[in-house]
Amino acid sequence: MNKNIYIQSAAQISIQSPLCDDWFEQPTWHTEPQVRAVEPNFRDFLEAGELRRIGRIQKRALVTALKALSQSDLSMPDAIITSTGLGCVENTEKFLSAMVREGEEYLQPTHFMQSTHNTISSQIAVKLGCHGYNNTHVNDGVTFESALLDAVMNFELGRFSSALITANDELTPAYFELLGQIGYWKRGPHMQQTLLEAQSDGAFAGEVSAAFVLENTPKPHTLCALRAVEVLHAPKEQQLQRSIERILTDNNLRQSDISAVMIGKSGDCSNDAVYNHLCPKLFGQTPLAWYKHIFGESYTASGLGMYAAVVCLNRGCIPAHLSLSGKAIEWPQNILMYNHFKNREHSLVLLSLC
Amino acid sequence: MAHQRIYITGMGIVSALGVGKTPTLEALLTAHSGIGPMRNLQGTVLNHYPVGEVPLSDPEMQQALGLDPSEPCIRTGLMGMMAAQEAVEQAQFARQRPERTALLSGTTVGGMDRSERHYLDFFEGKHTHYVALHNCASFTDQVAQRTGPYDICSTLSTACSSAANAIIMGANLIATGRADAVVAGGSECLSKFHLNGFHTLMIIDKQPCRPFDRQRAGLNLGEGAAFVVLESEQSMRARGVEPLCQLSGYANTCDAFHQTATSANGQGPYLAMKSALQMANLQPSDIDYINAHGTGTPNNDISEGIAIERVFGQQVPHTSSTKPFTGHTTSAAGSVEAVISILALQHRFVPANLNLKQPIEELHFTPVSQTLRDIDLHHVLSNSFGFGGNDSAYILSKV
Repeated sequence: MNKNIYIQSAAQISIQSPLCDDWFEQPTWHTEPQVRAVEPNFRDFLEAGELRRIGRIQKRALVTALKALSQSDLSMPDAIITSTGLGCVENTEKFLSAMVREGEEYLQPTHFMQSTHNTISSQIAVKLGCHGYNNTHVNDGVTFESALLDAVMNFELGRFSSALITANDELTPAYFELLGQIGYWKRGPHMQQTLLEAQSDGAFAGEVSAAFVLENTPKPHTLCALRAVEVLHAPKEQQLQRSIERILTDNNLRQSDISAVMIGKSGDCSNDAVYNHLCPKLFGQTPLAWYKHIFGESYTASGLGMYAAVVCLNRGCIPAHLSLSGKAIEWPQNILMYNHFKNREHSLVLLSLC
Repeated sequence: MAHQRIYITGMGIVSALGVGKTPTLEALLTAHSGIGPMRNLQGTVLNHYPVGEVPLSDPEMQQALGLDPSEPCIRTGLMGMMAAQEAVEQAQFARQRPERTALLSGTTVGGMDRSERHYLDFFEGKHTHYVALHNCASFTDQVAQRTGPYDICSTLSTACSSAANAIIMGANLIATGRADAVVAGGSECLSKFHLNGFHTLMIIDKQPCRPFDRQRAGLNLGEGAAFVVLESEQSMRARGVEPLCQLSGYANTCDAFHQTATSANGQGPYLAMKSALQMANLQPSDIDYINAHGTGTPNNDISEGIAIERVFGQQVPHTSSTKPFTGHTTSAAGSVEAVISILALQHRFVPANLNLKQPIEELHFTPVSQTLRDIDLHHVLSNSFGFGGNDSAYILSKV
């Protein structure tokens, strides 16, 4: 990566308190098996027509996008790139369920129009009047990193000087049930705080809306630098090793300069086994941190992971409740994010204080 | 960064025109449309609408691919595997695989063909292996398993411009030195979901579609898959393969107007074509043929036409929509039409815009209504526009 990219702002709506960093000091520990995102008052951000017309995932996406843009004093990004693993589930379900249950006669065009994955990104573009590059990525558990990679390449090629990157996934009760059928979730209540003790398959579900403004020049309010993004398909251990070495070399860093590795542990034993096996080999003694126990699992959970890492860098601490050793990590300078999906898709993202 | 040339060294296609490049070329040259009565898609009350179906059932495709018929499959995956395989065969991956490869594909319906059949069963714990296959990314994974190994794999989902955006991102992977070759394209099967969706928008024609005709009344849905192999000059030379053409320019823009309609002046399409020309360092007069998006809907064709006139002025090059051949293959359209455009470059013809009787009054150019043969094409521009005003254009140039 030979261009500087800065993260100017970040905003989130999740199962934690929305549009703030309350989770940093006092995370909300939920007790229900499925938790929906805690929503802000959409009326404070959106017009009456939008409140009526658009689906929940789009409202969340618009609000986090607007919040991130206003924090960075950017009115018009060069590009809008969205990541969403499942797309607009609510509207897809409405259309599909009506078609399957009631037949093909009384289907609503609005549900179809708002069912496609890229409705989210284009809704933001329509709201801003943004004619720039607009793309939507779907890549299982590394969907967000694929969107980041898209942006990074365009920065490198000199085609963007700014970009709005978003991560959005919603989980309806019906889709929660379907993914539960194929073993995605742990059963029963009260599991959020004891995910690692359970020693069972399945994770704790969350919902995601995260937005970031990226620019090629630093500003007084810049949060951190985005220094590397890699997405790897079915890599061997040596390939991961080589990628990490390359990222460190490209950025003039040694392994000891990495303050912490933020990993995608979720409490799902088969998911976590990959980290348990690889992390000591790839990262040695570097402290590990995680976020999925706070924000829940989702195809774009790593979007909230990057949000958490950005906040930690800026607040000068990875709090104890995010650290896998249970001890807070003070004054992190460089956080490497490492994530995988079913040991097939892997990703590495490097963030540094500027 | 130095401008890196990107070549296309292989391509594969499955559509209503048949399986592979040979029947596709034959149909295009003889003006033989693949659109007809619905045969494969079952259980819909909309079965009187003409469609562009791939002429193979799922079991027939499984057989052609040598797959175990008891293995769960999705139609988008089967078509995608066939098209990608043809593409990597032409690019001679088996003889010598490029060093770092990526697979990028576009789809929107993913495994919807199975989800809509088994949706209620899922809740009773039956057929649940299709729940994971529903995800758009699962189809890319199937294609990767068939034609891999790949170093990078990802899926784009921007409705009808998905495959074009896969080509664009693929080119960027090569341009930034992250890959030596990228298999890029898309796949989309017909589904009741899709058919009903377009039906509720009232944009499906009961007759074979008539792009750029005054009487046009909507699109015909098609299905298909197509992939191209994008490759760096260095990798191509090292492997000793010949280029089919060069990808000389591309752009994606957003109309930022409406979720399903295009603005009256076609601002998004205009910007996409203009930026692609700029990147290719070409003048509008250098373009010999425009493979238009041309869906046949009243809205698309007039705004695309206006955008074309804004870019090309009085000298609009030969233009045709090939959707009356294939139907609108939605997420795959961007790569299906890349293959058609490359065939046109290679075999020196302009495919006809079938079913055109009376051109649109407001437009000053007339699309090509009969196949033009023996015509030298140097640069072809292809448009792909998706829901949400997602507008992509790319330019393919003779080498």
